[in-house]
Amino acid sequence: MASLAAAQVQEVRSITRIERIGAHSHIRGLGLDDALEPRAVSQGMVGQKMARKAAGVILQMIREGKIAGRAVLLAGQPGTGKTAIAMGLAQALGPDTPFTSMAGSEIYSLEMSKTEALTQAIRKSIGIRIKEESEIIEGEVVEVVVERAAGGGGARTGRLTLKTTDMETNYDMGTKMIDSLLKEKVQAGDVITIDKATGKINKLGRSFARARDYDATGQQARFVQCPEGELQKRKEVVHTVTLHEVDVINSRTHGFLALFSGDTGEIKSEIREQINSKVAEWREEGKAEMIPGVLFIDEAHMLDIECFSFLNRALESESAPVVIMATNRGITRIRGTNYKSPHGIPLDLLDRMIIVPTAPYSAQELKEILNIRCEEEDCQMSNDALTVLTRVATETSLRYAIQLITTASLVAKRRKATEVSMEDVKKVYSLFLDEHRSEQFLKEYQDEFMFSDVSGSGDGPQLMEVSQ
Amino acid sequence: MDDQTKTLKYLVSVEKLADEILSDKREIVLLDKRRNQNREALRDLVKAKQKKCWVTIGSVLVKHNMESTKALLEADQKQLDIDINTLRSNLKVKVNNLRDLEMQAPVPGLMLVPMSNKETEALSRSGLIH
Repeated sequence: MASLAAAQVQEVRSITRIERIGAHSHIRGLGLDDALEPRAVSQGMVGQKMARKAAGVILQMIREGKIAGRAVLLAGQPGTGKTAIAMGLAQALGPDTPFTSMAGSEIYSLEMSKTEALTQAIRKSIGIRIKEESEIIEGEVVEVVVERAAGGGGARTGRLTLKTTDMETNYDMGTKMIDSLLKEKVQAGDVITIDKATGKINKLGRSFARARDYDATGQQARFVQCPEGELQKRKEVVHTVTLHEVDVINSRTHGFLALFSGDTGEIKSEIREQINSKVAEWREEGKAEMIPGVLFIDEAHMLDIECFSFLNRALESESAPVVIMATNRGITRIRGTNYKSPHGIPLDLLDRMIIVPTAPYSAQELKEILNIRCEEEDCQMSNDALTVLTRVATETSLRYAIQLITTASLVAKRRKATEVSMEDVKKVYSLFLDEHRSEQFLKEYQDEFMFSDVSGSGDGPQLMEVSQ
Repeated sequence: MDDQTKTLKYLVSVEKLADEILSDKREIVLLDKRRNQNREALRDLVKAKQKKCWVTIGSVLVKHNMESTKALLEADQKQLDIDINTLRSNLKVKVNNLRDLEMQAPVPGLMLVPMSNKETEALSRSGLIH
């Protein structure tokens, strides 16, 4: 508890963001101005203006808490920035809003049922804000005096002098305080905090004023400023925790270590109910605030009919997070049924959604994105190499072109060049096939491969459909 | 012209509030200083053996009865605690008002009621907060 008081001024603990792929690490936000108008190139975002503007409106609704119980669908071809927009939205929401990112296929695990996985994802996306408060005494030690009664044993008395930049005062100490001071090896020049409720002492470091006391100091010597203001302070720390974290801690069989091992298993519904009622009680007393966050499900067409109907119901609950789904499918079969539906999502759920389309990038935008990725990957690229890459991106795919950046820069490094030239790009283009050329190659030589059973032509992509 | 007066009015209100916040913080420091001095005095009175003690009131030094001095100091301590606490809670409201004037979002969780000691202990022991 006192260690908390010692923690630096970080008031709100951030929620760890899990980034699924590094492909979007260059995204810092949605790139909108104050009027929610998208800037052409900003915060790593390029083009896709309509979708970004739509995402900006959604962002505003989330901030005002108006969107609970609804969902957003980002629909568009592969490589049109659906995940990028979701990432940008998460960044723009700030570190305090829980954002969970998962792929649709993550729910198919052997350890837990599909609905359990979804429930956990939903509860990971709901945060509660709580505050703890403590009275502490914080100051730089001017002097510690310990007097021992003559003849060894007997009661000891001591005096501790503390100061801040504004005041200085003496404290008389009893045996217990002396003991803990000696245990912490507190000496003049240390900056310490004492928790008033528990009496726990915490060493923050040594004062800068005493930095020259010794010629040699250990590595662990940390220098801090002499505290300002009053000696007896009130320390308030606001924590944001997700409902899932509270669930895990209270599910007795696992304990809090499960938080770190990631092995949480299934959580009993009674525990969830208990926690819900406790949180409701806290909210009633003004001790907790609910923060509905965002749950992002990529490849949403991988969910099956059970998940969709579960989501349908879960969105009704009053503390539901905003669910953002992304899919690159057109009219396709809903998993687990024989019915076809737009985006592979049942019509009743689709009806609840706000659908945001993304469109393919133009050549100019592709060049801009490749340029940003070059910067992100610390890769100097010559102008004509970038033009060639843009050409590759328009003809094959953006993802393939982005992969060429890294490989080309490695080739350039091999020949000890500082800049990636056109030749490097050409070389890796011939070394690594894109999906189209690979397919062509396979078609040409299919007889020489094993188990070739593609008798006709044009059946290729269908085989990739995941069977039940 | 109208715009100018409006801007001026706005700036005055912001500065006034900011100044109030700063002076409140200063006030808390001064009160805490007095609180610590009183505490030291009370401590010394416990240890003292004589029946009367010297008390400074402003610049006047007065010899005063020990018992009533103690009572005076204790009453002062109580009042100081109350004053510091009211200043602190008012400070929160003022900070949020100032942020509102400056078009900033309120500090998250500032107005929350703190968890009780027992609850914080349970939460920190379970590793949820640290």
